[in-house]
Amino acid sequence: METRDIIRLKEKSLEECHLARDTDELEALRIRILGRNGLLPTIMKGLKDAAPSERPAMGRAANELKEELTALLEKRRGELAASASADRAIDAFDPTLPGRWRAMGPRHPISVIIEEAARIFATLGFTMADGPDIETEYHNFDALNTPADHPSRDAQDTFWLETGVLLRTQTSPVQIRVMEKQKPPIRIIAPGRCYRRDTADATHSANFHQIEGLYVDRNVSMADLKTDISYFAEKMMGAGVKVRFRPHFFPFTEPSVEYDFSCHLCKGRGCRVCKNSGWVEISGAGMVHPRVFEFVGYDPEKATGYAFGMGVERIAMIKYGITDIRLLYENDIGFLEQLSL
Amino acid sequence: MKAPLSWLKEFVEIACSAEQLAERLTFSGLEVESVSADDPDLGGIIVAEILGVERHPNAENLSICRIHDGRSELQVVCGALNFAAGDKAAFAAIGATLPGGRTIEPASIRGVSSEGMLCAEDELGLSDDHSGLMLLPPDTPRGKRLSEIMGPPDPVLNIEVTPNRADCLSIIGIAREAAALLGKPMKLPHARLREAGGSIEDAVSVQVEDPGACPRYTARILSGIKVRPSPLWVRRRLMKCGIRPINNVVDVTNYVMLETGQPLHAFDISLLKGKRIVVRRAKPGERIKTLDEAERDLTSEMLVIADAREPVALAGVMGAAASGIVAATQTVLLESACFHPPLIRRTSKALGLASESSSRFEHGVDIMAVERSSRRAAALLSELAEGVAAKGVIDIFPIKPAPRRITCRFASIRKLLGVSIPASRIADIFKSLELKIVQGDGKTCSVQPPSFRMDLEGEADLAEEVARIYGLDRIPTAAPKCSPVPRADDSSIRAVMLCKSKLAALGLTEIMNYSFVSENLLNLFEPAGTERRVSLMNPISADQALLRNSLLPQMGETLRRNCARQAEEAALFEVGRVFSRDDTGALLEEERMALGLMGQAGRVGIGKNDIPTEEDVFLWAKGVFESFCRAMGIGLDGRSCLDAAAGLAVVRKADAGTSAGNGFPLACFENARAAFLLLDGATIGVLGLLKNDIRSDWRLRSPAALLEARLEPLISRAFEARHAKPAPAYPSVNRDVAIVVPMNVMHKDIVEVISKIAPKELTDIRLFDIYYGKELGTDRKGMAYSLRYRSPHRTLTDEEVNDLHSAIKAGIRNGLKAEIREG
Repeated sequence: METRDIIRLKEKSLEECHLARDTDELEALRIRILGRNGLLPTIMKGLKDAAPSERPAMGRAANELKEELTALLEKRRGELAASASADRAIDAFDPTLPGRWRAMGPRHPISVIIEEAARIFATLGFTMADGPDIETEYHNFDALNTPADHPSRDAQDTFWLETGVLLRTQTSPVQIRVMEKQKPPIRIIAPGRCYRRDTADATHSANFHQIEGLYVDRNVSMADLKTDISYFAEKMMGAGVKVRFRPHFFPFTEPSVEYDFSCHLCKGRGCRVCKNSGWVEISGAGMVHPRVFEFVGYDPEKATGYAFGMGVERIAMIKYGITDIRLLYENDIGFLEQLSL
Repeated sequence: MKAPLSWLKEFVEIACSAEQLAERLTFSGLEVESVSADDPDLGGIIVAEILGVERHPNAENLSICRIHDGRSELQVVCGALNFAAGDKAAFAAIGATLPGGRTIEPASIRGVSSEGMLCAEDELGLSDDHSGLMLLPPDTPRGKRLSEIMGPPDPVLNIEVTPNRADCLSIIGIAREAAALLGKPMKLPHARLREAGGSIEDAVSVQVEDPGACPRYTARILSGIKVRPSPLWVRRRLMKCGIRPINNVVDVTNYVMLETGQPLHAFDISLLKGKRIVVRRAKPGERIKTLDEAERDLTSEMLVIADAREPVALAGVMGAAASGIVAATQTVLLESACFHPPLIRRTSKALGLASESSSRFEHGVDIMAVERSSRRAAALLSELAEGVAAKGVIDIFPIKPAPRRITCRFASIRKLLGVSIPASRIADIFKSLELKIVQGDGKTCSVQPPSFRMDLEGEADLAEEVARIYGLDRIPTAAPKCSPVPRADDSSIRAVMLCKSKLAALGLTEIMNYSFVSENLLNLFEPAGTERRVSLMNPISADQALLRNSLLPQMGETLRRNCARQAEEAALFEVGRVFSRDDTGALLEEERMALGLMGQAGRVGIGKNDIPTEEDVFLWAKGVFESFCRAMGIGLDGRSCLDAAAGLAVVRKADAGTSAGNGFPLACFENARAAFLLLDGATIGVLGLLKNDIRSDWRLRSPAALLEARLEPLISRAFEARHAKPAPAYPSVNRDVAIVVPMNVMHKDIVEVISKIAPKELTDIRLFDIYYGKELGTDRKGMAYSLRYRSPHRTLTDEEVNDLHSAIKAGIRNGLKAEIREG
C-alpha cells in the first residue's frame, strides 16, 4: 500500500461517514477501518515493511486517516442521534387519527327539494307565499270550483276538524288566499304540508308536501306552463330529464294536465321507483279556471293564468332513489346522514 | 272503467293494437292505467260430439260417454248431467293442458278408463260456472278448436275516468273518444224493438212526486220472461268488466249500463203492490232491505222508488231484496231514469252504500239517452229472455233542457293555449267530438255540445277539447319569461328556510315528523290542557287521532327510536307547525323549532362513549340555541341582553306539570332541570332535560335535552340591517378574579352584580374555571372570571386598570358575600 492509497482510503471513508444514514452504519464503518482487525491497524503493521523513504509520509497519512475519521465519526454520531430523537417526536404526532370537528348536520330531503325549487323559480321571478294547514272548506274546495256533493271531491279524502274546517288536501287554497289579497300580476310558489286520508304504503302518506305555483297576468298561456315546468325539471333533475304532459281533470283548472318526469334513477329504462314505466307522475297543472277568477273577484276576460302543484316527496324519491315514502318520516339518523344533503 | 277491445270495435273501427289505442287515449285525457289480457289459453281444447251416454257401473254420480273428437272415437268418464247424446261439448284430449295448468293424462276412474276430459266453463277459465259441461251449438263441427270459436284474445283497457267525463263511464263513450282520435265514424245501431204485448198503460202506472230529484223516468214492461243464465258472450263481457253474472234479466240491465252508461233496474211486476210506481222522498221512519240484505233506515233526504205501499228501491243506488228478479219472474218492469246527481251522492255517502249505478248517477247520466237505453235493454231482453214488450213506454220528462250554446273565439283559444291553430282545424276537432257548430265566421263560432257532454260549459272547456285532441306535445315551449313582481315580499318564508340552514350548520340533523300524534304520547309529555288539543273528526287510526300541539313528543320519540337502533348520540332539529285551540275554542297554528340532544353531542372525537352529565347535555343544547340566536341577528345590538351571550334569559322552572307552560309541555321535563327561554321579557320557549322516568322506560343511556321555541320572534330580526364597527384602536387589558361563593349562587347572579357596577371600560366578562374542592367544603364553589378592560380613546395604564378592577372586586365581595381569592 502506498501513501496515496491511504489518502484515497481516508477520502472514501470520510465520504461514507457523511453518507451514513444511522449510527449502525457509522459503527460498521469504524470497525472496518479503525477496529482491531480493521484496515488502519493493518496499515500500521505494514509500515515496517515499507521503504524508509516512504515511511514518514505513509505514517502521516495513516495518522490523518485515524484522526479525521475519528473526529467525523464523533460528529456524525451526534448528528444522527439528534435527528433520531427528532424522528421519535414526529412518531407521536399521528395525523391519521379521526378528525375532530362537528360535521354540518344533514338537511331533510323534503326541505332541500323545497329550497331548491324556490331557488329555481326565483330565477323566473317567483316569490314564495304561504297559507295555513288548517283551512276552510271554502278555500280548499268551494272557491276552487269543487262544490260539495260533486264526485271531484272523491279524489281527495279529507281530514275534518269541524264542520267547514279541514286539513288542507292540497296547497291550492294558497292560490285563493293570495288572489283575494292581491291583484295581478302574480307569480308565486307556495310550498307546504298537505293531508289526505290515504292509508300509508310505499308511495302514499297521509301527510305529504306540495309546491303550488301560480302565475296570473294578461297573457299567460299553456305554452308558458309547459315552458316553465320543463325549465324547472331540467334545473332540478339535470339536463337529461324529459317531461311529458297528459290531459287530465282538475276542477280549478281548464284545460288541465298532469305531467311526468322521466325516471332519474333508471334514466327511463324502468325500475322500482317508476314501477317500470320509465316515468314518474309529479303532479297536476293547468290554466286557472275562469270560475276561480270569479270567486276571487278577478275579471276572467282580463286575467289568464296557470297553476301547478308538485309532489315534493315524489321528486325527492326519484332524485335520491328512495323507494319507500315512509323512510322520509322515519327520521333514522343513518338514513339522513348517508344523503348528507 | 274496463273496456274490452272487442266491445269498442262494435262501435268504431280500430285498426291499431290495444296498446297503441291505450297510448292515444292516455295522451288525450282518458288515462289507460293498464291493458290486461285475461283470456285463458284454450290451445288444446277442441269440440267433441257426445255419441252416447251410459251409467258408470261403480259410481252413481258418474257417467261413461262415447265421444268423437273429429279424429277418433274415445271413451270419457264424466260427472256432469246437463247433456245428452248428440250434444257438442268442450273437450280436453290426452296431453292437452287446461288454463289452470293441469295436463290431461289417461286415467282410470273407478275402474273405467277415461281418455280425456269433457270440460265445464270454470275448468276452462271462462267463467265461474261449474253447473255442467260447456255445450256448443249443435252445428259446431267436431274437432274444431275452441279458441277459434271464442275468437282472438280480447284485451281489456283499464281506464281511469276523470270525474268530469261521466260519458266515458260507458263503452260507447270510450268508443266515441277513439273515433275522434282515429278519425273514424261511430257505428251506433238503432235498437229495433218489437212491441207485441198489450198497452203499457194497462199494466202499470207511474207517478213522479219530485221532478227536481227525478227529472226523467221511463218504464217498459216485458212479459213472458224466462229467467235463466245468459249466453257465454254476455257473461264473458260482464266478467271482463268486473261484474258478476246473475241471470239473463239482471245481466241485460248491467250489460246495457256498461254499454251506454245508463243504469237500469228490473222489477218483478208481480211483487209491486197496486201495479204502481211512485218516485218520492222516503218518509220518516221508513226502512228498506236492499239487495245486499242490509236493513237501512231512510230519511226524507233520500229518494225512493215505491209501489203503492212501500219503497221497492233506493232510487239510483240499489233495489230492495224483496222486489228483485227471481227464477219464477215472468213479467218485468224495466226502469231507466235520470236522478239529481248530488242527491244520489248524498244518499250513497249517508248509507255508506256505493254501486255501479250510484257512481254513474253521481257523475250524471245523459238525460236525452234515458229512453234509448231502455229500448236497447228491452230488445236484448226479447232476444235473450224471450220477453215480449208491451206497447209503448211510460216516459215522464216534464222539462226538456234547452241545448247549450257556447261561444268560441278562435283567438281566445289560441291565446290560452299559446299555439296558433287554424280555425278550420279547431272546427274539425269540434266536429270529430260531435260538437255541432251552429253558426260561425272566421273569428268566432257558436258550439252546441252533445247532450252527453255535460262537462262542456264555457270557452275554457272548448280550449281543453282542442288541446287534448290537437295534442299537448304540439304546444311549443320557448325560453321562459322572467318578470319579477314588484312589492312581492317573502322574507318571512325565506327566514324560516334560513333557520334550517343555520341549525344544520350548527351540526344538527334535520328531521320531519307527521302532524298527527297519539293521545298517549301527548299525555306522557303533558297531561294538562287537553281542552286545547285539536282532534280529527275522522282519523285513520287512534295512533294518529290528534294534531300535535308541540314538536317535543315526537322529538323525544325520534331520540328513542334512534337509540333503539344503536345510535350513540343525536343532535336533531325540526321546524314545523303545531296546532291548538285558544280560550274560545278557535283553532290556532304556529311555526316552531325544536332541538333534541343526547349522548356526547357537544364533544367530538375521543371520549364519545362516555355518558355525558346532565349539565353537559343541557348546556350543549343551550349553547346551540345561543349560537343559533346570534346567527338570526338576536342579541347583536344588546337588546334584552340579560344572559350575555344570546339575548335570552334562562329561568329556572321548578313546578313542571302545571298548565302554566305557555303552550309548551312541561311534564316531560325532570324537576328543576328545565328553563323558560325569554326574549324581550316574553316567554318564547322552553329547554329542559327529559324526565328520568321516561328516559329509563325508553332505555336512553344518556340524559336527553329537549328545546322548543316559537319561531316567529326568532326570525323577526333575520334580515335586519347589521352595522360593522371598526376594530378597536387601543389594546385591551385582561384581569382575572377568582371568587368563592355559596353553591346556590349562579353564574347569572355574578354577571348581574358585575354588570351593575361595571365601568364603561369593562367590555367582556368571561367565566374560565369552576372549582369544587375539599378545602371549600360541600356548600361552596370557586369561580374564576376573566374581565377585559378597554378604552376607545387611549391605552389604559396599569394603575387605571388596577383601580377599576379593585372596585369591581369590592362590589362582588359586598354584593354576593363572596370571598375573593387573591394571587
